[in-house]
Amino acid sequence: MYRRSLLSLQSATLRLDTWINRVLPQDFNPLYYTGGLANLFLTLLVVSGILIFLYYEPSLEGAYASVEFLTRDVPYGVVFRGIHRYAADAYLVAILLHLFRNWFTDRYREARDSQWLSGMFLLVVSGFAGFTGYLLVWDERSQLLASLTVQALRSVPLVGDWLARVFLGGPGVNDTTLPRFLFLHVGPAMTLYVLLWWHYVRLRHPKIWPPSVWVLFSLGLLFILASALPATSGRPAQPGASPEGFAVDWFFLWPYVLARWMAPGWALALVVALVASGMVVPYTLRETPEQRGVRALGQAVVVEENCTGCELCYYDCPYNAIYMVPSPYPGKSRAAANRKLLAVVVDSRCVECGICIGACPFEALELPRMLDKDVQQRIQRGARATAPVSS
Amino acid sequence: MATVPDRTPQAQEGAPRVVGFLCDWAVRSEGLLNADDTLVGMPHVTVIRVPCSGFVKPGWLELALRSGAAGAFVCGCPMGDCLNREGNWIMEDRIDQLRKRLSRQKVDPERVAFFAFGLHEREAFLRAVAEFVDRVRGSGGKR
Ligand code: HEM
Ligand code: SF4
Ligand code: SF4
Repeated sequence: MYRRSLLSLQSATLRLDTWINRVLPQDFNPLYYTGGLANLFLTLLVVSGILIFLYYEPSLEGAYASVEFLTRDVPYGVVFRGIHRYAADAYLVAILLHLFRNWFTDRYREARDSQWLSGMFLLVVSGFAGFTGYLLVWDERSQLLASLTVQALRSVPLVGDWLARVFLGGPGVNDTTLPRFLFLHVGPAMTLYVLLWWHYVRLRHPKIWPPSVWVLFSLGLLFILASALPATSGRPAQPGASPEGFAVDWFFLWPYVLARWMAPGWALALVVALVASGMVVPYTLRETPEQRGVRALGQAVVVEENCTGCELCYYDCPYNAIYMVPSPYPGKSRAAANRKLLAVVVDSRCVECGICIGACPFEALELPRMLDKDVQQRIQRGARATAPVSS
Repeated sequence: MATVPDRTPQAQEGAPRVVGFLCDWAVRSEGLLNADDTLVGMPHVTVIRVPCSGFVKPGWLELALRSGAAGAFVCGCPMGDCLNREGNWIMEDRIDQLRKRLSRQKVDPERVAFFAFGLHEREAFLRAVAEFVDRVRGSGGKR
């Protein structure tokens, strides 16, 4: 059932591409650059975030006023605030598109699971930073979010009270609360870069930027949005007040919308369950390649006697699965006799694509179940099957 | 090859032999090939399915030309959508270089080509192959 729906989702995803490619040149299809778009919006978030940070004052009395000052009195402050808010939404949309695309086009399991897992961590940390961002304004919405969060944390068994204390920096909201929230916003944002290192470590030159047309388009769109629909605060937080409704940002605050219908603790449990199931996605379908309808040709194998250490395969492998090591012994072929380096394939990273085979000019790499000599035979058979009349 | 009804003498007449490589993830494969790996409706075109367009060695394309094929092509996924991230870009580059090499050897570089078509683009793929066959018709087997 799950398997079949994945297949039809794959088909639908690629159908959508076909339509987009009819309108745009193939290599401008934004769905091919969802990771790059996410990175673009993240960069804009960091830049606009630093500018906002210069004006922000993390204290109960000063926070709201400092944000208002930025919005009203600082030239272009309202634009930067707006960009920070809308880039966050665009960023989340981009990562979700990225997640679903990689899922539906079968780029998430086996040798690619490390990118999926790091991606899930990126998603969680991004979501958390998005939520803590809304705490910093310290308006009525922040107050309500904080109190719902405290309720949710308190209902965690055993460690609940302790978690709530850690969150607020004391038994209740106090003078250390907002500096703590500021850390809970900026800290995760910086953690994203550590996670991105993990995300990229197995990818050879990851496409971290979309085509420049899309960079300009996204920037323009954000500027227009930020100026036309300025990001605003609610009324300032009042000690002891219990605000009812507020304008929600569905992208980041949906668990709090749920908390309207269920106890905050259950909303938290739901989020945890969703994340946990996301983490196991690469390991849920235990099927053989035949069941998947995929030819598994085996991981690339280096034919050691022929390898000359030329490094061409190393530069072409898109998954960084080839390492060049100092050659432990000379090769057999003439070209390989004086080699300094030897190529080694890291099996756990190899996706069996064969790109290194196409790169190797010395017949020193093979996919075990599609050997060079067999391909050559088929080529010759095809080329000769019937002599063309013109020859 | 009794299973190939459309291999009529007329189809062979004057049709140059072409060898192509087609990525497993590109054009949908069901009903695309005859039992002997020739393309349906184009028995003079042999297609070898490969795990990724980037698997193809430029030497294989040269081998095809040397063995009597009038042309050789590689078809990968749409640019930007390679399952293995870069296979089709890399292959496009390799074909560009191969073309330069061929011109230096006084072989018509138009005899090798790169295509990019997705799962649902079988018609466009078949049209591109037919056009390619027409293009190489003149230079068939010369070498
Ligand atoms: C901060 C958010 C993220 C950014 C900036 C990001 C960026 C990228 C980039 C630039 C690539 C390389 C694409 C390429 O060159 O082909 C990539 C690959 C990948 N990402 Fe993300 N990503 C993010 C979040 C996620 C999430 C949430 C998931 C899913 C859970 C995910 C799953 C993957 C996978 C599976 C690949 C490998 C694709 C392949 O092997 O072709 N990423 N990401
Ligand atoms: S087949 Fe070669 S290029 Fe592809 S992932 Fe494995 S080692 Fe890298
Ligand atoms: S391309 Fe071939 S010869 Fe060169 S390092 Fe890789 S395996 Fe060795």
